[in-house]
Amino acid sequence: MANSSNLRAWLVRLGVLALGLFGIVAVAALHRFAHLGIGLTLGLEYVAVTCVVWGLNAFVFRRLPLSGLTLLVFSAAVFGVLFLVAYFVGAVLGPFLIDSAGRFIGLVHLVDLVFYLFAVMTVAGAAGCAFSRNIIYSAWSLLFAFMGVAGLYVFLGADFPAVAQVLIYIGGILVLILFAIMLTKQIGGDPKLTNAHLGLPVGAALAVITAGTLTYMAVMAPWKIEPVQSYAPVSAGLGIAFLTEYLLPFEVASVVLLAALVGAVIIARKEIKETQDTVLES
Amino acid sequence: MTSIGLPHFLIVGAALFALGMVTVVTRRNAVGILMGVELILNAANVNFIAFNHYVAAPGSLTGQVFSIFVIVLAAAEAAIGLAIVLAIYQTFKTIDVQETDLLKE
Repeated sequence: MANSSNLRAWLVRLGVLALGLFGIVAVAALHRFAHLGIGLTLGLEYVAVTCVVWGLNAFVFRRLPLSGLTLLVFSAAVFGVLFLVAYFVGAVLGPFLIDSAGRFIGLVHLVDLVFYLFAVMTVAGAAGCAFSRNIIYSAWSLLFAFMGVAGLYVFLGADFPAVAQVLIYIGGILVLILFAIMLTKQIGGDPKLTNAHLGLPVGAALAVITAGTLTYMAVMAPWKIEPVQSYAPVSAGLGIAFLTEYLLPFEVASVVLLAALVGAVIIARKEIKETQDTVLES
Repeated sequence: MTSIGLPHFLIVGAALFALGMVTVVTRRNAVGILMGVELILNAANVNFIAFNHYVAAPGSLTGQVFSIFVIVLAAAEAAIGLAIVLAIYQTFKTIDVQETDLLKE
C-alpha cells in the first residue's frame, strides 16, 4: 500500500512539474503575442515557477523540506533568479549574439569553415601523435591526422589521392602499425611509459623552428598562382598518365611493392633453428 | 570567392612536417618513429597536391602522380619497417631504440 501511494504522490508531483513548465512557456507566449498585462504575467509566472519547484522537490533537491511558507519563499527566490537570467538573455545577450552571429556569417564562408575543420583535425591529430605518452593513443591520433589529410585532398580537387589515402593509410598502414604495437607487447606493464620520449623541450624547439621557417617561406614566397583552378575528376587522367608518361616509374613501383612483400615476409619470419644452419654448413 | 589559398595548405604541411620530425627525434619506441615518418610523408603529399592544384597548368596531374608514388613507397616502407621492428623485438625483446644498438645478439 505504501508503495502505491508513493507512486501516486510521485505521479502528482510529475504532473504538477509538467503543468508548471507548460505554464511558464504558455504565459510567456501569451505575454508576447496576446499582450497580456505585465502584472498578470509576472503573477502567473510566479505560480508556474512555484508549481515547478514543488514538482522538482520530489526529484532533485529531495532533502529540502519545502512546505507552506518555505515553498513560497524558495520559489520566489527561484523566480527572481530566473527573471534576472531571462531579462539578461532577452535584453542584453540575445541581441548581442544575433548581431555577432550575423557579422560572423557575413565574414566567413562555409568553404573556409570546412577547410579549417580539416586543417585543425589534421594538426591536432599530428600533435596527439607527437606528444601522447601512450603509443595506442598516438596510433589513434594518427587516424585523425590521416582522415584530415584526405579531407584536404578532396578540398584540393584530388579525389583519387583522397580515396587512396583512406584505403592505404587508414586501411593498411594504420592497421599494420596497430598490429606491430600489439605484437611487440609494449602495452603490457605500465601503459604510460610505452611511448617514452626524451628531450621534449629540444623537440618542441625543433618543431617551432621548422614550422616557423617553412611557414615564413610559404607566406612570403611569390608563388605563381594559376588564375583558374579545376575541380574536375582526376581518375581517368591519372590512369592515362600512369600508362603513358609515367610507365617506367609505375612498373618500378610494382617491383618495389613485390620486393617489399617478399622482404617483409623474410625479415619478420621466425628464427631458423641453429641445428639446421649447422646441417647446411657441414 | 573563397579566401583559402596556397599558403594555407603549405602551412598545414609545415605543421605536419614539424610534428612528424618531433615524433621521429624524440621517440624511443621504434613504432612511434615509424609513425613520425608517415606524418612527414603526408606533409610532403599535402604540398605536392596543393602545388598541383594552385601552381601547375590546368589539366596537369604531375603533383598527384607524385603523391600516388609517395603513398606506394610509404606502404612499402611501413611493411618493411614494421617487419624489421618485429625482427628486432624477437632478438632483443624490446623495441626501445636506445637499447637496440647491436647488429647481432
